[in-house]
Amino acid sequence: MTDNVAISVEHVSKTFRHFSERNQSLKSAVMRGRISQHRDFAALTDISFDVHRGETFGLIGSNGSGKSTLLRCIAQILTPNSGRIAVTGRVGALLEVGSGFHAELTGRENVYLAGAIAGLSRKEVSRVFDDIVDFSGIQDFIDDPIKNYSSGMYVRLGFSTAVAVRPDVLLADEILAVGDVEFQAKCMARIDEMRSEGTTIVLVSHDTAKIEEFCSRAAWLDHGQLKSVGPATEVAEAYLNSLGPDRAEI
Amino acid sequence: MSYLKELVGARHVLWALTYRDVRGEYRSTILGQLWSLANPLTQMLVYTFVFSFIFSIKSPVGDPSGVDNYALYLLCGLIPWSLFQTASMRGMTSLLSNANLISKVYFPRVVIPIAGTLAIGYNSLFELIVVVVALSIGGAFVLPWIPLVIVLLVLLLCLATGLGLALSIANMYFRDTQYLAGIAFQVWMWLSPIIYPMSLVEARSAEIGPLLGTNITVLDIYGINPMVHFINAFRALLYDNRLPSLADGVACFVWSLVSLAIGWLVFRRHEKKLAELL
Repeated sequence: MTDNVAISVEHVSKTFRHFSERNQSLKSAVMRGRISQHRDFAALTDISFDVHRGETFGLIGSNGSGKSTLLRCIAQILTPNSGRIAVTGRVGALLEVGSGFHAELTGRENVYLAGAIAGLSRKEVSRVFDDIVDFSGIQDFIDDPIKNYSSGMYVRLGFSTAVAVRPDVLLADEILAVGDVEFQAKCMARIDEMRSEGTTIVLVSHDTAKIEEFCSRAAWLDHGQLKSVGPATEVAEAYLNSLGPDRAEI
Repeated sequence: MSYLKELVGARHVLWALTYRDVRGEYRSTILGQLWSLANPLTQMLVYTFVFSFIFSIKSPVGDPSGVDNYALYLLCGLIPWSLFQTASMRGMTSLLSNANLISKVYFPRVVIPIAGTLAIGYNSLFELIVVVVALSIGGAFVLPWIPLVIVLLVLLLCLATGLGLALSIANMYFRDTQYLAGIAFQVWMWLSPIIYPMSLVEARSAEIGPLLGTNITVLDIYGINPMVHFINAFRALLYDNRLPSLADGVACFVWSLVSLAIGWLVFRRHEKKLAELL
């Protein structure tokens, strides 16, 4: 792997087991004489590409094309059946805003918790704590249990924490649409800032306009196959053309 | 090697999750931490009423402490047992109750069940203080034995962690595990010398003698249960104020290591598949 590659994906395949009868009970296992009936479903087939350091890379494709699966493989949440993925630097996965928050704890405690989950020590979280609170704009409620938060406040705190931990590689799944218009603009500004600081970003979306706007390069996945990799505008164009003249269904 | 490095890096998340479990548990209850005592204390009252008052079981006199009180004798067995049971059960269910973390963020998964048992271990310190105070009022001189009690608590937590790790994986494949385990723990408790003294088992075993022409006695089979040795060791330290027998000490040590090793190996084998099994 050369120095300027942040993520290298080599011949990655991922198969899921689909259980015709999702039965995780002992009785059914004994009755049938085996654990469960399943058929294999290839979510990703032999995917290879590199993401360069500091670039913003898009993954596009229709629903069920495998782009989220690939992102979760890069985030180490799923393990590929074959092939390998190498990532340099600290990975921050924004697959869901505020995952890991605990409803009974206060906003402050949750920021520390989420920071620790991202791999930071208490000291490191303390250093960015004020930034997080400022960015989220919920100073007055930071010591309230987050079960009393509105969904907007929850999302703002979650996003602020996720970007404040300064990952080297940020993996984001359709999350750029959080909060109200004002907060969205703030998020975009922050992502731009991270980009200019050299953070590598992988963005998953089926919104080609967003991919073209943000990403320099992109990959297009279709039914688990890699269709093309290249400059974002070209890939997005190819993807749109494949959908046929009726582009309404994106 | 890189896995070890990863674990060292995961210490922050281990503490944070333990803290979350400790703090989140009794938040927004009025009695808070006192609830962790409610269960063993209720059991103590009920069992004392039934076994001491109605069946008039005699607890042995503490040697050399001189304590002679069934309720205290019971408590010295019940508290370690309830720690063991809640810690194992918590470890077992921890993966399912943290499903949102497993499917959305990566960190070494082994942290999740361990944080669960650590939180229970923290609660048990509180229970331990209550036991020590009660025993001191009852006439035992416990304080010099506290360091050894803590060592024994750590061993017991290792036993529970190992079991919890293995059961947590089993529970991912078969959700029946948690219900089955609930029943198994009930049986297990009655097969441990908690409510009745060990001497009754020894007496019955001697009466029956070797089984089916072999050298094996009922007591040998009874002694396979690691909790027999843990309860005996806790009672020796807390109730009698003496060193546990060497056999009990060695058994506690070996069982906790074996449990931890097996639990760890089972967990490692299946760790990477967890997100798919949810």
